Amino acid sequence: MSATTEVLPEIEHAHQADSSTALEPGYLVICWDDPVNLMQYVTHVFQTVFGWNRQKAQRHMLEVHTQGKSVLAREGLEKAEFFVHQLQKYNLHATLERDAE
Amino acid sequence: MNLISSTAEQFEFELNHEEHALLFHVLLQYPLVPATHHRLSQNSEISQVEENQRLLEESLQSHRTTQREQVMALLRDADRFVAADEGLQVTFTRAEIEWLLQVFNNVRVGSWLALGSPDATAEDRRPTKKTAPHLMNMEVAGFFEMNFINALTGDE
Repeated sequence: MSATTEVLPEIEHAHQADSSTALEPGYLVICWDDPVNLMQYVTHVFQTVFGWNRQKAQRHMLEVHTQGKSVLAREGLEKAEFFVHQLQKYNLHATLERDAE
Repeated sequence: MNLISSTAEQFEFELNHEEHALLFHVLLQYPLVPATHHRLSQNSEISQVEENQRLLEESLQSHRTTQREQVMALLRDADRFVAADEGLQVTFTRAEIEWLLQVFNNVRVGSWLALGSPDATAEDRRPTKKTAPHLMNMEVAGFFEMNFINALTGDE
């Protein structure tokens, strides 16, 4: 019983997620590299805004640093705007761009 | 600047008098980044981008007004900084450190913009009469950012 109970909600949630993402255009939240924001600061901001652990935040920070940018999230427009607002409050160079996929 | 003690939500620091003076100096510079500096998107073809850009600028301006009030309240609170053996002691909550980080980084980024947004490889970074204040603000703001982040993460 418990196994069935655990499985059904996951399937239902995944189905709903697929439906919503299939209909809604995706927007990428991108953080761009710049020479002024400190690496430790960027890592901290990623942890704070997205709730990531330090390892994941550092990985994205290093991606920004070495590749010039990192895609932090793919969301609908409203959620993407929210994340960009939060990042810009910390004065990171962040924008949202339409997902080409 | 030293972290004397901490709990999950409170962080006690000791600053010498020079650090205390620099803290006040940098906080008084806020805000330096214009609200119009940040762009919502690099792609002007995204629908409604102009309206959303305007909303972003309004939101950031409102945020900065609130933070400016927080900064001034902190600086005017005579009881926040307590005399200690080697300087002064001050306690910040985790939430206060978060908005102070935003304030310091606004001063750092704003100072960098005032310098003409030089890249990391800019050859001539010697301080001049014109650039010295901005260079100093950048470095001091970064100093406090690192101390606060190290306190939050437990790093030394």
